[in-house]
Amino acid sequence: MCLEKTNETLYLLGMNNSSKVKEIRTIAIANRGEVAVRIIKACEELGIDTVLLHSEADVSSRAFRMATKTICIGPAPTNQSYLNIQANIQGAVAAGADAVHPGFGFLSENADFALACKDAGLIFIGPSPESIRLLGDKISCKALAQKAGIPLVPGYQGDDQSVERLIKEVELIGLPVIIKAAAGGGGRGMKLIRDLSEARQLIESAKRESLSAFGSEKVFLEKYLDRAKHIEFQIFGDCAGQVQHLFDRECSVQRRHQKIIEEATSPSLTDDLRRQMGSAAVSIAQMAQYQGAGTVEFLLQDGKFYLLEVNTRLQVEHPVTEEVMGVDLVKMQILTAMGKFAFSSEDIRIPRGHSIECRLYAEDPYQGGVPSTGKLGTIAWPEGPRRRFEYGFESGDIITSHYDPMIAKVIVWDESRPRAIDKMIRVLQDSVVFGVHTNIPYLVKILSHPDFVTGVMTTRFIETHFSEGIKSSHNEEDRIQFSRQVYKQTFSQKNQTSEVASPWLSHWRNI
Amino acid sequence: MKKPNYLAEIIDQKLWIKSGHETWSYDLLDIAAEGTRRKARGSSSPSKIVSLMPGKITKVFVKEGDQVNQGQALIVMEAMKMEYTLKSDLTTTVEKVLVSTDQQVVLGQLLVQLKESE
Repeated sequence: MCLEKTNETLYLLGMNNSSKVKEIRTIAIANRGEVAVRIIKACEELGIDTVLLHSEADVSSRAFRMATKTICIGPAPTNQSYLNIQANIQGAVAAGADAVHPGFGFLSENADFALACKDAGLIFIGPSPESIRLLGDKISCKALAQKAGIPLVPGYQGDDQSVERLIKEVELIGLPVIIKAAAGGGGRGMKLIRDLSEARQLIESAKRESLSAFGSEKVFLEKYLDRAKHIEFQIFGDCAGQVQHLFDRECSVQRRHQKIIEEATSPSLTDDLRRQMGSAAVSIAQMAQYQGAGTVEFLLQDGKFYLLEVNTRLQVEHPVTEEVMGVDLVKMQILTAMGKFAFSSEDIRIPRGHSIECRLYAEDPYQGGVPSTGKLGTIAWPEGPRRRFEYGFESGDIITSHYDPMIAKVIVWDESRPRAIDKMIRVLQDSVVFGVHTNIPYLVKILSHPDFVTGVMTTRFIETHFSEGIKSSHNEEDRIQFSRQVYKQTFSQKNQTSEVASPWLSHWRNI
Repeated sequence: MKKPNYLAEIIDQKLWIKSGHETWSYDLLDIAAEGTRRKARGSSSPSKIVSLMPGKITKVFVKEGDQVNQGQALIVMEAMKMEYTLKSDLTTTVEKVLVSTDQQVVLGQLLVQLKESE
């Protein structure tokens, strides 16, 4: 749907000569896990070499095996590797990269990193440092939104960051109030204050999390809308300076402010709301002279929408937009950085069908979601039409506690939302992940819940219906007897030498 | 012929099974030793505050002899970049604090010992 333009057609479109086509032969990836794999695949299809800038802990990962080259930039702790600007720049330069793709999380929304890339002669695949600073800092972003006349949630975004002042502001805004990391995203550093007596403890905790995840303890406060939906618009700025939106996603299913299930398009928007929100998203991006992929997030409550934040990067849930729009956002990002992508006036973009993404977390759903670590055994994804599996680890890899517990994303597309939901449930149930526990049973329960099925869920859905986690309905004694039988029949002495000696061999057996 | 109806694999001394839509695992010791199944999870006593995951202690709110109320935060720990607050289920006194800030802890490690309520 999106046309790739040669330099010549861009000229015909009336572009000035200042934006030249830049050659990119090698892209350094300043990230890890499934997004690193996603970027490598796009590069492979474009005939571009890749350099994975990885920590010592990530040598046992799919991206490490797939990248053209790998460079270790530091030990496992993120502040010494994935968050270390100098280490990333030095690695990219040493490997002879022309450009850097930051993925999402880590340094992807760090203007200093974008600037350091530029200074080192590297193309940063993303918006300019100025756009990142303007939109990425939630405080200046809100000022811009105010100018554009986009409604905002009441809150405090001041420079006085003393705990005493913040507590006073919490009282002024009125409970419930949410604390957010000014530099953050992905739920880290976010805390909800429901009772004034918890305010101090939660503010201090949010500051610590923010410091450790983003290197800044600056936070801001916002009134918590208690029956809102999370709706966001994918925006994209091409190399000719045009900004368009690629419709919306709904991500209301969140736990501790971390998204779990996302879909495109939202089941909750009227045509009129979709038009209004889409044009608000485009207008703020245009004001910031946005280039590349970005997301404008809104909260929607009682038919009114409020700007939440702008994420100046690719989003974890970008695949659902790709599925309904028929685009490849990562290739669009790379081609834009090369000066080779511009929207054409002939393009007509209409979303088709429905797409859902589920994030697979390594955690035990029956133990309140505590992280699960260990060596992966058999992993089997039930491939099929319009089923997509984005994963960063394979059999034999080790899931450690150093990083985010998301180990994979499962994305499906179907003609309607009900069909997509049924498809997702089946795909999750047929997926095999051994070695760590996953949230698959939890996801299936959510997908089957009446509030999700009817599409009325709000950001409090999980808190309201799944605050106690989920319980397994199996009989423990039956299960252990079954397991003993399996063990005896499958792994008994006579099989021991031949089969168990090979640890990655899976054993299918009848009993 | 009926198709296979389960998938099983041994990984690091654990038996993993997927049967139907369910996946579970048991320690091999629990499976191999008939009848004498050890308790899989840590102590369930509310007076023992143990770590539910490997991670790092980021904050210790209490010290030996402190009076604590039910629901009061005792320890904050970080694992996989998320913070978890461990709270007291009892109104009692702190008998012993066995960890300090920045300390790495393993799964099931005793962090705080509370006095058993009378």
